[in-house]
Amino acid sequence: MANQVQKLSYVDNKLGVSLPGQQTTRVIYDSVNAVAAQGFFEFFTNFAGKNEFQTNLTTNKLDSAESMVIKSIQIIGAFGGSPTPATLANHMNLNILVGNQVVVKDFDPSFNSTNRGLAFDRLHSGANLADNIEIRLLTEIVIPPQVNFKATLQLADGANIALNDDITIIFKGYGRIFSAGNSF
Amino acid sequence: MGMSAQDKMLNVASRLGLTTLKDMQGTTRMVYDSQTTAALTHTFFKGASQRAFPLSNVGANGNQFQVNEALLVEKIGFFIPLSETGVTYQGLNGASVKFDLVIGNKTVIKDATVEFGGEQAFYNDGATASSVIDLEGVGILIPPQVEYYVVAKGFGTGARAAASVRLGCYLFGTGALLNFNTTI
Repeated sequence: MANQVQKLSYVDNKLGVSLPGQQTTRVIYDSVNAVAAQGFFEFFTNFAGKNEFQTNLTTNKLDSAESMVIKSIQIIGAFGGSPTPATLANHMNLNILVGNQVVVKDFDPSFNSTNRGLAFDRLHSGANLADNIEIRLLTEIVIPPQVNFKATLQLADGANIALNDDITIIFKGYGRIFSAGNSF
Repeated sequence: MGMSAQDKMLNVASRLGLTTLKDMQGTTRMVYDSQTTAALTHTFFKGASQRAFPLSNVGANGNQFQVNEALLVEKIGFFIPLSETGVTYQGLNGASVKFDLVIGNKTVIKDATVEFGGEQAFYNDGATASSVIDLEGVGILIPPQVEYYVVAKGFGTGARAAASVRLGCYLFGTGALLNFNTTI
C-alpha cells in the first residue's frame, strides 16, 4: 500500500511535476472573521487584509515547485456570541475542492468533537474540545502545484455566530517546497 | 512499507558524503532552547551556547552538532517558561506558534504552525491538548556541523492575533552520537 510520500510522488509524476524539492511537513491555514449569523464559510478564496496568523498563503494554489498531501484537517473556532455562543460540536458540512474536483464531500467533522472522537477511527479521538477539532484522513488528498483549491464549511449552528467570531481551517500533511539541491 | 528513520538518516548522510555516520551510536535525541523574555518573535538555537542549562541543553557546540552527530527531527514542540530562570514551564496554554525551521541556508519547514489542541489524531486518551507537531513522512535530518535554527512567533489560537510570550522550542527524534570504534 502506498504511503503518503509515495502517493505524492506518484501524483506529481502523473501531472508532470518532476522537480525533487525539499521534503517537509506542510501546514496551510486560512481564517475567516464572521459576520453575525453567518452559517456558511469559504476558505482559501479571500486573502485580502489578513495577517500572517490568519493565513499563510497569498493565493489559493501552491507555487509551481510545491505540492502537498493533506493528512489532517483541523478546525478551530473562537466564538463569543451571547447568550449562546456557536460551537463546532453541532452538525457541520465540510467540502474540499481541488481544481474542479470535489475531494471531500459533505463531511461532518463534528462527530470528532468533544468526547465523541471515536466515530471515524478509534485512533483519532479529540481533545474533548467543542471549538477545536482535528480529523486524520484515511485517504491522503493531494494538492498539486498551481491548482486552485478551496474548502467550504456550513454550520448548522450558524444562527449563533456573532460578529467577529473567527473560524480557522488548517490542512496539515507531507509536502515539498522549492529546493535547489539536496533534501535534508 | 515506508522508509525508517534510521534508513533516512543513512540515506541523507550518504548523499552528503558522510560515510562514517553509519558506524556511530544510534540514539533518541532531544535538543531544546528557551527564551524567558516575552517577545513577538523568537529565534531559537542561534546563540544558544550562551544560554546555560536549564535555558538550553545544546551546550558549547551551540546550534550545530559535532562531527558524526546528527538528529533526524521527527517532532517539534513548543513550551512556555514560567519564570526568568527557565526552571519551570508549561505547554502552550491556549497559544499557538507559527515557525520556520532552517538548516544551513535552507528553510526546510516554512510557515508551519503548532496549533494548540492540534495533533489530536496522535493521542488516544481523548483529553490531551498538545503543543507538538509530528513531522509527516520520515522527518528531516540535521547533519553534523551545519547550523540550524527555528524562528517562531506566538499567537492566539482562536482569534489569530500576534501575542508576546515567553517561549521555548524542542526538536525530538532519532539521533546519532559520536562513537570511536578504535582506541584513542
